[in-house]
Amino acid sequence: MGEDRGDSILNPVAPIVPPLKGPINVIHSIYLNRELVWAMVKRNMRTRYRTASLGYLWLVLEPSLLAITYYFLFIMLAGNPDELYPVWVLVGVIVWSTFGKSLSGTVSSISSNAQTINMAYFPRIIFPVSITGGHIITSLGSSLVVLPIIIYFGTPVTLNLIYVPIGVIMAGIMGGSFGLIFASINCKQRDIEHLFRFIVRAGFFFSPVMWTAEMALERGTMGEAALYNPMTTPITMVRHAIDGQALSLPQYAVFSSIIFLLASMIIGSMIFTKYEREAVKFL
Amino acid sequence: MNEIVISVQNVSLHFPRKGSLLDGLKSIFGRNRVDAYCALKNINFEVYRGEVLGIIGENGSGKSTILRIITGILPADSGSVLSRGEQTLLAGLGTGFSSHQTGRENALIFGSILGYSRNKILSKMDEIISFSELGEFFDQPIRTYSAGMKARLGLAVASAIEPELLLIDEVLGVGDPKFREKSKKRILEMVNGAGTVVLVSHSFALMKSICSRILHIHNGEVKFIGDPEEAIKSYYSMEG
Repeated sequence: MGEDRGDSILNPVAPIVPPLKGPINVIHSIYLNRELVWAMVKRNMRTRYRTASLGYLWLVLEPSLLAITYYFLFIMLAGNPDELYPVWVLVGVIVWSTFGKSLSGTVSSISSNAQTINMAYFPRIIFPVSITGGHIITSLGSSLVVLPIIIYFGTPVTLNLIYVPIGVIMAGIMGGSFGLIFASINCKQRDIEHLFRFIVRAGFFFSPVMWTAEMALERGTMGEAALYNPMTTPITMVRHAIDGQALSLPQYAVFSSIIFLLASMIIGSMIFTKYEREAVKFL
Repeated sequence: MNEIVISVQNVSLHFPRKGSLLDGLKSIFGRNRVDAYCALKNINFEVYRGEVLGIIGENGSGKSTILRIITGILPADSGSVLSRGEQTLLAGLGTGFSSHQTGRENALIFGSILGYSRNKILSKMDEIISFSELGEFFDQPIRTYSAGMKARLGLAVASAIEPELLLIDEVLGVGDPKFREKSKKRILEMVNGAGTVVLVSHSFALMKSICSRILHIHNGEVKFIGDPEEAIKSYYSMEG
């Protein structure tokens, strides 16, 4: 133990961070605690897959089985709208679930970690970040399923494939940072997490999961309005990464996603920074 | 001996009660506290380097809350808490462990949560293994552990990293008598190594033997702080 102790000064414990510094504070905390964030990401993923004998294979297996289900559902039963339609649905499901799981995971991130939070003081932003990170990594694993699909359909392999991880990461960050806004209040009122479970289920239908942006544009005003949904861009991005076409979304749809992403990140980190301290009283 | 490590100044804390959705919104997003319960009232005390400060009081008097305020887990509504150096809280040992991971993996995560680097914990791993006496269980998933084993692991990690200030919340009662004796010895070693300890316990015999001062808290107010014998007298005079 060092002799420099005498020099150290009395510092306030857990000093209050001004909300305006929220975004910087969040990034700084993640950087300072990167080892812990990574350990928590691994912990979240292992708890999910370790006890299964197929383990991480489920990452690819689940969406593949889903793809087969959609194949039967839409090509054998509902006619043949588009050869690639089940692939679009599969992509939609993967990207949407990245958003949905990150969102609901983040909303309950403080309340579901009460025991760990009561053990020591450390930046609680680690919980939502590691939950979101875990879902992003899981979905990146799942999206490996597009490789056999590309080979099967013989679609050209282009540099556009880079949009697969970009779309998935974007969806995860959107869900995670939007959820930050509600993580604190959820400790006081657990109704919030139930509400969000519903929102994620309903949002599935309002987002281009079962339908595509191109289909919506054929439906006139209502369809155009539907593309204001911020999830349009990440999902469509991944789809076009696979079929190698350029992203052909209307500008307002792209702006809507970018504004949602930035606004959630800024507002989410500010609200989280301001209220997480008070939220602990309700654990 | 008289260097202040922790200074608690005029600290008060209210716990809002459960209310309707509207009350909830008001109390989180508003200034006014709806029907709050006062857990700590204007607490003042100091902890000096190298001492063992005991905290006694009946259930619900605010003992654990004080420790949580000192660590920063709970925010004080008013007043301030100042501290010097690193601190580690031992409370609810083993409750935050992930049951599908092994003792070793949990030791690493628990250590990081307490604020220590992976390398530091790795370098202490042998010490942790031998102190926890888990043997081959150390590399088994935590779900195969008994409550006492989890607590031993927690104590082993937290004491191995030699914090300058150790806060202990009623964890010395865990494990079998032999392990309890060992924990007591370990804490005394830490004290002798110029570490500082704040200890919450109901075991007055233990407190008398290791504490240099005892603080008696009653209904969120400090009733006495000082000589252990006097503090225990103060306790019995108030709680009967």
